[in-house]
Amino acid sequence: MDLLKTYILPRLLQWLVVIVIGVTITFTIPRLLPGDPVEQTLRRVTANTAIDPRAMESFQNAIRDMYGLQGSPVEQYFRFWGRLFQGDLGPSLGAFPTPVTTIIANGLPWTIGLLGTSILISWTLGILLGTLAAYYPNKLWSQTLDKILIVIYPVPYFILSLLLVMAFAYYLPIFPLVGGATGRPGFTLAYIGSILRHAFLPALSLVLLGTSFRFLIAKALAGRVIASSYVSYAELAAVPTPRIIGRYVLRNSLLPQVTDLALSLGALFNGALITEVVFSYPGIGFQLYTAILQADFNLIMGVTIFSIIGIATAVLIADLIYPLLDPRVRYQ
Amino acid sequence: MHIVANINDLRAYYITEAYGVRRTVKAVDGLSIAIRQNEIYGIAGESGCGKSTLLKVLLGMLTPPLTIVGGSVTYNFEGEPVDMASLSQAELRAMRWKELSYVPQGSMHVLNPVRRIRDTFRDFIGAHVRAPRREIDERVRAYLVELGLPDKVLGSFPHQLSGGMRQRVTIALATILSPRLIVADEPTTALDVVVQRGVIQLLQEIRERAGNTMVVVTHDMGVHANLTDRVAVLYAGQLMEEADTPTIFAQPRHPYTQHLIRSLPKIDDRSERVSIPGRPPALDNPPGGCRFHPRCPYAMEVCKTEVPLIEQVGPNHRVACWLINEERMGRIAARLANAEPRPLATDTQLTPQRPSPGGARSAGGPEGAIR
Ligand SMILES: Nc1ncnc2c1ncn2[C@@H]1O[C@H](COP(=O)(O)OP(=O)(O)O)[C@@H](O)[C@H]1O
Ligand code: SF4
Ligand SMILES: [Mg+2]
Repeated sequence: MDLLKTYILPRLLQWLVVIVIGVTITFTIPRLLPGDPVEQTLRRVTANTAIDPRAMESFQNAIRDMYGLQGSPVEQYFRFWGRLFQGDLGPSLGAFPTPVTTIIANGLPWTIGLLGTSILISWTLGILLGTLAAYYPNKLWSQTLDKILIVIYPVPYFILSLLLVMAFAYYLPIFPLVGGATGRPGFTLAYIGSILRHAFLPALSLVLLGTSFRFLIAKALAGRVIASSYVSYAELAAVPTPRIIGRYVLRNSLLPQVTDLALSLGALFNGALITEVVFSYPGIGFQLYTAILQADFNLIMGVTIFSIIGIATAVLIADLIYPLLDPRVRYQ
Repeated sequence: MHIVANINDLRAYYITEAYGVRRTVKAVDGLSIAIRQNEIYGIAGESGCGKSTLLKVLLGMLTPPLTIVGGSVTYNFEGEPVDMASLSQAELRAMRWKELSYVPQGSMHVLNPVRRIRDTFRDFIGAHVRAPRREIDERVRAYLVELGLPDKVLGSFPHQLSGGMRQRVTIALATILSPRLIVADEPTTALDVVVQRGVIQLLQEIRERAGNTMVVVTHDMGVHANLTDRVAVLYAGQLMEEADTPTIFAQPRHPYTQHLIRSLPKIDDRSERVSIPGRPPALDNPPGGCRFHPRCPYAMEVCKTEVPLIEQVGPNHRVACWLINEERMGRIAARLANAEPRPLATDTQLTPQRPSPGGARSAGGPEGAIR
């Protein structure tokens, strides 16, 4: 089919190229940094002990091998890819010798659960409210909403989240201060309730900010569509208002928002950082933060590669969905 | 003759206020016309003369900043005449498409780009007719076939259709419920000549089939010649001349009408087209007197200060120009002079300022054209 050749294949290719370049950069940068990570690790591991130099040397080689630092840079590069295909990102240096993949796998469900849900909620809420507010600009509710969200939007995220933590976890200890859940993991009411209670404040902070951001974008996009001739023509013809809002305004202003949703979901892999640090939430953002503090290169690289693949894949999915939504792309 | 819509001394202004400065654009300023049943009434004039504004008022599309400042619009579709001002927004909405319909300017952008044509028809018809979807679909299909449009367009999206096809689909969309009065704004603009002809034929066919009345706005005098029964020439929000279409082209009396006709390209005429320089005035501060006077080659002193009255110069023929008034005054004066020879007091005031000899205009001077 034509669409396959002119639309889908180029995007698959682009996806591949982005990942290859991203991974290559991730491979290169730590190797350009001053300081030898092997030395650093050795020093850390052997800080308070005296080790016989021969043992020291074999230990050094073992670490070098584990980090993939044996051989020439080109050899290293291809071995790096080889390991990547086997899902091997090496051991964490901070939690030696736990594999990086295990650590990420532990954090990922928390991050996806918290951020994924918050992003979906704020996306939906923001678009619905923004579109309605654009269609009814003179109503009291829309103006009030507009004013509130315009005030929330420019508040820096870390301040908003700290305020929430202080208000509802510290002064009024309604919600827990730290962690993802308490109790024994399992499909019990108590445990799920605990997850929700722990997730509430971070989710609230994300939804507040996400909704106000999405609201402002949706309102601007819908405003443009509302000003278009096809909307005023349908209005003139007395097409029922719910239909105009749904099938004309929302449907047309949704197109860029879907792409943006995919991007937000892709960025979830690194966007979690501040939230998870402020709320001490056990996702990959928190792990990344810890990894940076501990100079845990392997884990940093692992999270980075995950983000690259995540974002590139999200862009790919958005691109592939787009023709389904926009007939102008589907039938050229 | 049944009058379908009567516009009486209509004044429709755009009144805006920004930073405490009030701006009034007098887009339609004291216009009186009567639309007769089953005619195609053309409205001519350059861009910015208030044609679209007139249509908006005629359709009852009175969203700010457009305001009716004076005059009235009366519909007379069946039985009692209805003053538009007495209709609520809901009543106007209920009338649309069934009695009063609109073919908007720029068919490129009036169809929802993500909806198939079939769905747009369903939306528009469903708003006025309670019927099962299958029935509506069948009705649409039958109507398209009747108009000679391929019914496969129903499954298409707007961008898949050519400009001409889109325009024809829009016309079908606006006329399918057989409205009494159809108002079309520049229905042929931006189409090439062959497609234009198709659209003109389509409009005529619809009128003949359903017996409805049309008001067609276009700045293109060629389209008026081929499509309309009567033409009103608008300039700066006011009526300059109105006559049956053949009369307008055979005996244009107003200098502006003459200018519009003269600037039409002629196939057999290789001579350079003469056009009056300048553009229609901004309507927030239109010139006094005759609004055309800054551009009129025959402008006289009186034109600058006094608004010319609309004169009936023949059956169905009205003109607002001091040259006509002068002519008539001249006749009256002549009659008076026969009785008692005496120069007319207003003579000097009415002396036309002739264009300089040897100027761009040579043939068809004022005498030739007017008398
Ligand atoms: N929404 C508006 N606000 C203010 N002025 C307007 C608006 N729409 C049109 N006008 C002005 O009204 C005048 C007549 O415009 P219009 O009716 O569109 O003329 P036409 O259709 O003959 O080109 C123009 O001077 C135009 O600038
Ligand atoms: S002659 Fe005077 S009144 Fe007639 S069009 Fe020219 S300026 Fe207007
Ligand atoms: Mg116009």
